[in-house]
Amino acid sequence: MQKYLLRRLIVSLPALFGVSVIVFVVMRVLPGDPLVAMFGAEGFTRLGESDRARIMADLGLSDPLPVQYLRWMKDIATGGLGKSFFRGDKVSELILHRGPLSAEIGVLSVIISWIVGLPVGIVSASRPNSFADNVARSLSVLFLAIPGFWLGMLIVLASLFWFHYKSPLLVVYLWEDPWTNLQLVIGPAVVLGLGQGAYIARMTRSCLLEVIREDYVRTAQAKGLAEGLVVIRHALPNALLPVITVSGILMGFVLGGSVAVEQAFGVPGLGAALVTAVVERDIIVVQNLVLLYGVIFMGINILVDLSYAWLDPRLRFQ
Amino acid sequence: MNRRAFLGRLGIAGGGAALASHLSRSRGIARTHEGTFELRAPESNPKRGGTLRYGVVSSPAHFDIHQSGTVANLGAQGPMYDNLIRRDPRDGQTIIPDLAYKWEISADRRTYTFHLRKGVTFHDGAELTADDVKATFARIIWPPKGVVIPRTPLFSAVSEVNVLNPYKIEFRLSEPRPSKFILGAIASGWNVIVRKKTLEENDYNLRQVANYPGTGPFRHVSRKKDEVWILEKNPHYWNKGLPYLDRIEVYHFLPFSPELGAALLAGKLDYARVLDTVTVKRARQTAGMSSATYYQSVIDAVWVNDQKKPFGDSRVRRAMHLVLDRYVLQDVVKDMAPYLVGGFVYPFSQSATLAEELAKRPGYQRDSTAATQEARRLMTDAGYAGGLRNVDFVVREGPSWKLWAVAIQAMLKEALNIETKLRTVQISAFFEETQAGNFDLSIGAVVSTLIDPSDYFNAWYGKDGPQNYSKWHNPVFQKVVHQIDRELDDAKRNALVRQAEAILEQDPPLLPVAWEQLSDGWYTYVKGHNPRNIFGIYDVVRWDTAWLDK
Repeated sequence: MQKYLLRRLIVSLPALFGVSVIVFVVMRVLPGDPLVAMFGAEGFTRLGESDRARIMADLGLSDPLPVQYLRWMKDIATGGLGKSFFRGDKVSELILHRGPLSAEIGVLSVIISWIVGLPVGIVSASRPNSFADNVARSLSVLFLAIPGFWLGMLIVLASLFWFHYKSPLLVVYLWEDPWTNLQLVIGPAVVLGLGQGAYIARMTRSCLLEVIREDYVRTAQAKGLAEGLVVIRHALPNALLPVITVSGILMGFVLGGSVAVEQAFGVPGLGAALVTAVVERDIIVVQNLVLLYGVIFMGINILVDLSYAWLDPRLRFQ
Repeated sequence: MNRRAFLGRLGIAGGGAALASHLSRSRGIARTHEGTFELRAPESNPKRGGTLRYGVVSSPAHFDIHQSGTVANLGAQGPMYDNLIRRDPRDGQTIIPDLAYKWEISADRRTYTFHLRKGVTFHDGAELTADDVKATFARIIWPPKGVVIPRTPLFSAVSEVNVLNPYKIEFRLSEPRPSKFILGAIASGWNVIVRKKTLEENDYNLRQVANYPGTGPFRHVSRKKDEVWILEKNPHYWNKGLPYLDRIEVYHFLPFSPELGAALLAGKLDYARVLDTVTVKRARQTAGMSSATYYQSVIDAVWVNDQKKPFGDSRVRRAMHLVLDRYVLQDVVKDMAPYLVGGFVYPFSQSATLAEELAKRPGYQRDSTAATQEARRLMTDAGYAGGLRNVDFVVREGPSWKLWAVAIQAMLKEALNIETKLRTVQISAFFEETQAGNFDLSIGAVVSTLIDPSDYFNAWYGKDGPQNYSKWHNPVFQKVVHQIDRELDDAKRNALVRQAEAILEQDPPLLPVAWEQLSDGWYTYVKGHNPRNIFGIYDVVRWDTAWLDK
C-alpha cells in the first residue's frame, strides 16, 4: 500500500508541475492589467511609461518569466506562497483564513450528496419504472440542470423575504461557534450537495440495476433473503465502486462550483477570494489558489484509488 | 431630489466658496474665529454611543487614499482622516472649515491662505502643523516618481505651497482660477491630510501601509480583508462633541450586489451604500427604513476612435450620436440602477442646459424621426450612405454596459446600417484596450472629481486628457476650455460652457449614453446624515455627525 501511495504521489508531481506552468503562463499572457485595480480607472490612465515600468518592477513583473517562476517555486517551498500584489497580504494567511470554510462546504456537500443520492438511487433501482423511480429520476435531472449559483440566489432571496434571514457576514470557524459556522456553510453545502446527489442517485441506480442481474444476487433472492437485505448487503457494496469514483470526480467539480456558489451566498471562502483575485488580476493569489485546487483534486483522486483497494480485495491482491 | 433643488444647494455651495472668508454669514454654519467653529448633527437631540454597521465596497487594492480612484478606499478609510476644508455633511455641498478654521483669498485670486487649528493631534499623538499640510499637498500636486495621483491636474495652476508659520499655510497660483474650483479641489474627499513623517518613512508611497495616522473622528482597530474594517471613536478629536458613534464596522460588499441588499434588508447592516434598485424599492416600502438617490460623478458613454477611419469624420460621429435613443437606453437598465438622460455636461449642474431645452435638441428628443433623418443625411454626406461593416465594439464587462451595447448595436444597425461586432472584456483589459486604441467603439464609464467643467472638460474631452479615449481633438474647443479654466465671472463662464457644449454636439468626442445616479438605504434610527444632496460618493464619507436613535 505504501509503495502504491508513493508511486501515485510521484506520478502526480509532473501533473502538478504542468498545472503550475499552465496557470503561471496563462495569467501572464492573458490581456488585462493589474495596475487598473491598483490605481483605479482614473489613476491608471494617468500612469506614465516610467511610472508604469517602476511599479511593474516593484511587483516583480518585469523579470524574465523563468525568474518569476523560480521565485514562485521558492515561495511555495518556504510556505509563504508570496504576497498579494496590492495589499501585501500573505497568500498563505489568506488560505489559512478562508480555506477551512471552503473545506467544510466541500466535505458537507459530499456527505449531503450521499445522504440524498444513495437512498434515491436504491429506491429507484429496486423498483425500476415505478412512480417513485420516475419522480426520483425527474428530480435528479432537475437538480443536474439547475446551475448551483442560481439555486443559491433563490435560496438567499427566499430565506430573506420569507424568513427575514441572511447568513452571518463574517468568517466564523467551526471550533469557535459551531451554530454560526453551520449557518455560513449549510446553504452552499446543500446547493452543491443536491447537484452532486443527483449524479450519485443516477449512478447508484444504473450500477445497482446491473449488479441486481448478477447470478449471486439471484442466488441470494432464491435463498429467500428479504429484498432489502439482498440489495443493501449483497448488491450495494459491489455497485458502490463506480459511485465512489464519481464522487471523487464530483468533489473536484465542487471545488470549481463552490467559486460561484460561495459568491451567491456571500460566503467569504476561497472561491470568493479567487473571484476577487481574478477581477483584480492579482496574479500571485490566482496562481496559488489554482495550484492549491489542483493539489486538492489530485489528493482526492489518490484517496479514491486507495478506497478502491480498501473496498475491493481483488485490487489489493493486484 | 430634483434638479432645481440640487441647483439650489449648489448655489449655496458656490456662495459658500465665494464667501469663504465670511463664512459666518452662511447659515451660521461656521465662525471664522478659531475654537468657535463646531460641527454638530443637524438634529437637536443627538444620542451618543453605539456601533454603526455600514455596508460598502471597502476592500481596496491598496491603502493610499491619494493614489486611489475608488470608494473602496474612502468607504472604510474616510472616517479616519480630515481635510483642510470640507463639504458640509449636512447638506453635502457647502464648503466649511475643517483642519483650517478660516482662510483668505487675495484680491487677485492668486493666493489662498489657510489658518490651521492648534492642538489637533494625529492618532499617533503627534501634533498637526503646516508642514504636514505642505507635505500632503506637495505630494498631490507634484507626485514623486512611481506615485500617481488622479487629482494632480486639479492643481495645475498652483505654483507654490508655502508654510508661513506652523499654523498658517498659503497656496500660490501662477494665474487666477475661479475660487470655487480651487476650494472645491482642496475640499475633495480624496485630499486628506497625512503626516509628513509618515510620508517620509514610507518613501512617499502609502500603497501598502494599512494603518497610517490621520486626525479624523475615528481610528483604526482591525481589518479582515474582504470582510470588515473596524473603527473606533477618536476620543481626542478636535471637534469637541464629535463623533457621536462609539464604533463603525465597515462591511465589504460589492456595489449593487444582492448580498449587500440582503444584508441590509435582513437587518445585518444599519446603512448600505450603492444599492440595487430592487432593494431600494423594498426599503422604501418597509416601515422603519429609508433610502435616497443622489447624483454620481460618472458618465456612461461610447467612445469613438477618432484615429481610425471613418470615425475621424465628425459627421459620422454626430450621426451615431443622433441615433442613440437615450430614453430607451435609460429604460433598458432601469431595474439595475437609476440613470439620467444628458449630453456632454453634468445634466444636474449649474452649467447644464435645462432638461426641457435639451429634450428639444436632436439626439435627445422623444421622437427620434428628425434626428434619424439628419443622421442619415450626415452619413450620406460623409460617403457612408450604405453604412459600415465589421465595426469592433469593445464592451466593458458589467451588466449595464452589456445591455446597452446590445441596444446600441441594434440602434446603429437599424438607423444607419452600421454593423458592429461586440467584444466584451474584463475591466483590467478594458482600459488597456481603450488606451491603446484597440477599438472602433468602446462602451464604459469615466468619473470626475468635481462637478466643475474645468475638471472634466479637460480630463474627458481635452487634448491628451487622461480619459479622452477617443483621442479626440478640436482646437476651437480647446481654446474655449482654456478660457473656461481662467474665467472668474460666473455668467461669462456659463456662456463659454454653452459655447463648448455646442462644439461637442456638432463634433462629439464620445456618445453620451447616461449619467449615473446611486442609491443608499438605511434604517431610520440612523440619523445625522443626508446623502440626498451629495455629488458622488467621495466627498462626504466621515460619519462624524451620524448617530443612532436607539
